[in-house]
Amino acid sequence: MSAVFDSALAELNERHRDEVLAAFAALEHGREPVPEAQLLALRDATVRRDLQRLLYRLGRTLVRVGSTHWTSGFRDDVVARLAAEGATAQSRIDRAVLVLVLVHSVAIPRSQGLVSGDSWTSAHPTSVDELTRYTQLPRGEIRPALQRLRAAGLVQIAPPRGRSAVTDGPAYLPGPALHRLTKAARERLEHELILAAAPDSPLAAAIRARRPAAAPAPVAAAADPATSTTERNEDT
Amino acid sequence: MSIDDTALWWARHRAAGPERVPPASAHPTGMIRLVEPDASAVWLLPELPDNARPDVLDELGLPGIAVDQPNDTARVLAACLRCCWNEPTGPVWPAVPAPFDHVIGVFRAITGSRDERALHAAAMGAVRRLAGAGWVLFDEDTRVVRLGPRVASWSAAELSTLRELWRSLPAPPAGGA
Repeated sequence: MSAVFDSALAELNERHRDEVLAAFAALEHGREPVPEAQLLALRDATVRRDLQRLLYRLGRTLVRVGSTHWTSGFRDDVVARLAAEGATAQSRIDRAVLVLVLVHSVAIPRSQGLVSGDSWTSAHPTSVDELTRYTQLPRGEIRPALQRLRAAGLVQIAPPRGRSAVTDGPAYLPGPALHRLTKAARERLEHELILAAAPDSPLAAAIRARRPAAAPAPVAAAADPATSTTERNEDT
Repeated sequence: MSIDDTALWWARHRAAGPERVPPASAHPTGMIRLVEPDASAVWLLPELPDNARPDVLDELGLPGIAVDQPNDTARVLAACLRCCWNEPTGPVWPAVPAPFDHVIGVFRAITGSRDERALHAAAMGAVRRLAGAGWVLFDEDTRVVRLGPRVASWSAAELSTLRELWRSLPAPPAGGA
C-alpha cells in the first residue's frame, strides 16, 4: 500500500482501515456529497477523525454539507499556496464564465433574499442566452468553457422547467464541486465578488479593513472577477 | 507558512492533474514517478491503495464524475490504446506515439457507418476531453497521440481486461502497431 496511507492508518484495525479507505474513495472520487448514514467512517465520530487525518495528510479536509452529508475539499492553507502558485486546471476564460454563472445563479438571488445560507450551489438557472447577451467575453468561447466546467463538475445543466426551458435554450447551475468549498473558501468567494462588483461600497471597505495588512487585495485583481474570485475555487 | 511537502504535491495533482517535472526535482511520498521515454521529465501520479480507488464508487452505488459523450469518449480511448500500446504484453506506459489518423481509423472501424464529418468531430471532441483529463497526450499541431500518464494508474486486473479488449479491436490502418 502507498506509504502515505500506511502511515496515516497505521493504528487502525483492519475493519476500520477498510471503512476509512472506502469513505476516502467515496468523498474524493464521488460526484455528490455522501450521506453520512451510508458509511461508518462518516457516521462514527472516532473513525471520522481518522478519515480527516488521512485527508489532511493529502492536502484535503472534510467538508460538511447540510446536516447529514459530507464531501472533501482543499485545506485552506493549501489553497492559499496553490493559488499563489497558479496551480489550476481552469483557464482564465473558464473561471470568468464560472463567475458569471455564480453571479446569476447565487449572488443575485441571494441579494434578493431568494437564497439563504452561504452555499454556492443553487436552484436558480443561468441561461446561456443570459451569459452571452451581456458578457464582454468572446462569445464563441463561452460554450467550450461551459463544457470544460461541466467536465470538472463546476457547472451542471439545469433540469428543464416547463415552457421556459424551450424558449430560453439550455441553462446552467453551479455544479456539485461547489459543495467542496470549505466555510472559509465560501466566505472568501463572497468577499471577492463584493470587492469586484462594488469596490466602493461600505461593505467592500469593511472587507478590506478586516483583511490582514500583509495581504491587501490588489486593486487590479479586485476589478477583474475572472482572476480574483475563482482562483481558490477549483476542485476537480 | 509551512505545509508538508506530501500534502502540497497531492493537492497540486488534485487541482491540475498529473504534473510533469524535471527528473531530479521531486520525490513526493506515495506518488509514482513515470519517466518520459527520453528521460527529459517525470510525471507524478498518486498511488492509491486498491480499496481507495475510483472503482469503489461502483461497489457503493455512488455516481462518479459524468463524462460528456461517454460512449464515443470510451471508444476513442480504446482506439488510442490500440494504436499506441504496441506491446500489449508489456507495461502500458510509456507506449509509443501514433498519428491521430490511425486512431480515427480504428474509431471508424468500431463505430460503424457514420457521416465522415460527424465522425471526425466526435473523435476530436473525445480526444480533447481525454487529453484534458490526462488519459492521452494530444498534439493538435502535429496530430500525434500518445497515452497519457493517467493510464499508469490502471491496476493489473484492469490491464488484463484491456489486453483482451486490445486483441478484439481492429488493427490501425497502414500497418501500424
